[in-house]
Amino acid sequence: MKKFQFLLLEAGPIIKLFELGIWDDFIEKCDVTISKIVAEEAKWVSREFQDIRIDLEPYEAIIKVVDLEPAIVKSFYEKFNLRYKAVIHDGEKETLAFLCESPENWSVCSADAAVFMVLGFLGKGNQGISLQEILQKIGLSQSNLEWEYTKKFREKYTRKGQIDFTQGQGLL
Amino acid sequence: MDIGRRLKIAREAIGYTLKQASQESKIGESSISEFENSKREPKFSQLSKLAEIYRKTVEFFFSDESPIENLMLWRDAPSIDEEIKQTESEFRQLCEQYHNLELLMCAKRSIRLPQPEVTKPEEFNCTQANLLAEKTQKEFLLGDIPSMSLKQTLEEKYYVKIFHLGFSGSAISTRSEQFGPAILLNRRNKLWRRNFDLAHELFHLLTWGIFRTGAPESTEPSQVEEKFANGFASRLLLPTDSVKNKIDSASGQDGKVSFEALDEIAREFGVSLDSLLWRMLYLYNKSVEEIERYIEHANKLRMTRPLRESDKPDRLPERYCSLAIRALNEGKLSLMQFAKYMDMSYRQAREYLTEDEDFKDEKISISLA
Repeated sequence: MKKFQFLLLEAGPIIKLFELGIWDDFIEKCDVTISKIVAEEAKWVSREFQDIRIDLEPYEAIIKVVDLEPAIVKSFYEKFNLRYKAVIHDGEKETLAFLCESPENWSVCSADAAVFMVLGFLGKGNQGISLQEILQKIGLSQSNLEWEYTKKFREKYTRKGQIDFTQGQGLL
Repeated sequence: MDIGRRLKIAREAIGYTLKQASQESKIGESSISEFENSKREPKFSQLSKLAEIYRKTVEFFFSDESPIENLMLWRDAPSIDEEIKQTESEFRQLCEQYHNLELLMCAKRSIRLPQPEVTKPEEFNCTQANLLAEKTQKEFLLGDIPSMSLKQTLEEKYYVKIFHLGFSGSAISTRSEQFGPAILLNRRNKLWRRNFDLAHELFHLLTWGIFRTGAPESTEPSQVEEKFANGFASRLLLPTDSVKNKIDSASGQDGKVSFEALDEIAREFGVSLDSLLWRMLYLYNKSVEEIERYIEHANKLRMTRPLRESDKPDRLPERYCSLAIRALNEGKLSLMQFAKYMDMSYRQAREYLTEDEDFKDEKISISLA
C-alpha cells in the first residue's frame, strides 16, 4: 500500500496513537510531519499518563519535525482579528501556518474543535482530517474512538468555521 | 520595535537575568543574548518557550505598537523587586487571558463604577471617602453585611476581574484600558483580611481618575490616600446602623460590651476585631488613644479560630472558568489553550470536553410563555 503523504499531526492524535499502541504501525503507513512545539507538547503531556511514554526523538529519522521562522507564523495570524489570536495554542499556530505557507496539499489530523473551525474559516476545510478517517484509509480502523477523533466531529466544527466566515462574524 | 528589543523588555518586566531566563527556558544564555541584540532571530518554538516563561503571548513579540505597561498599585508590596515583578507579570497575564475569554465569548461588558463627588486630589478628604462608601453601599445593594456580597457584586455585576494568588504582600489593583479594572488578592491571607483588602483596593479603583494623574509621584499611593482607602473600606464593610445595632444589643445593662462579643460581631461582618474597634472610634466618638488601648488589650485575648474552606479561595474567578469551559465546547478555544488558561494538565482539560456529540447543535431551550 502506498504511504499516506503530507500529513501534519497534532498533539491529541499523537497521544491517542500511543495510547492505542499503534504509533509504530501508523508511521509505517504515513509520512508524518509534526511542528516542533507540538512534538514538545506531546512529550510533556505524556508525563501525565502513567501507561504511556512519548518520546519522538528515536523516530526523528522517520518523521519530519518543522521548526518555523517567526515571520511565517506572524504573516499567518496577521490575517485574523484580535479575537482569533487567543483561540489556538502556539503548536497549533505553527502547524496551521506551515500548512498555509506550503505549496503542497497537506492534511492536518487534529482532535481539536478550534483547529477544524479555523480550517473551515480559512476555506481549507478539505485539508482537515480526523483520526478515525485516516486510520480507515490506512487499514488501522479502531472501534470506540472518542467523539473528538471522529469524522462527525471534524465535519461539525469545520462547518461552524465555514458559517462564521460566510456570516462575517463569530470566531474570527 | 523588533523582536529582540521586545524579548529584552519582557525578560526585564518579569525580573529575570539572562542566566535565569536560560535556566527556565533551556535555551543557551548566549543565544538569548543574541536574540535580544538582534544578532540572530529565534525559531518560533524558541520564541514560544520564551513567551511562556515571560508570561507573554507570542503576539507581544510581533506587535508593531509600543508595549503598554499598566500601572499596578500595591498594598504592602514585597521587599524583593523580583517578587514584585513576577507577581505583577502573573496577574497581568491572567487579566489578559480573562479579557481574551470575554472577547471570544462576546461577553465584554463595562459597567460604570460609582464615582466620587470631587475630581481633584486636593478636594478629597475623609468626608469624601465616607460619602463614596455610602454611595457604593447603596449602588451595590450590599445590605447589612456587605462583605458577604461585595466580591460577587464586583465580579458579576461590575465585571471587575478578581484573582487570588499566593505571594508576599496584600493586594494589587489596576485599571487597564485593555482589560478594565482588576484586583489581585493574596490567597494565603485569612478571609477577613482579604475582605478588607478588597474594599481597600476598590477605593483605589473608584478614585483612579483622581489620584492616578500620570505624574511620577502618582504611581504609588500617598499615606493620606491610604488613610482614605482604609476609612472607605471600614465604612463600606461596617455600615453605621447595622453595626451599631449589633453592638448595642450585645451590650449589658451597664452599657458595656465584652471583647468576646465584639469579636463575634467582627466575625459576622467578615472583618478583624481591630477593624471593628477602629470603626467604633467614629461610631461612639472614642479617642484614638482609647481605641489603641482596646486593641492592645484585644491582642492579649486574641481568639483562635479553626481553618475554614473560605481560607483557601480559588485562584481563578468563577466567571473566568465558566467562559473558558463554554469557549472550549464551542470550539473557540483549543484544548491546549484551555489547559493553559485553566492552569491544569491536558488530561484534566480533556474531562471538560462535552461528550454528547449533538449537545451543541440542538440547543435545548425553555419556553417562558
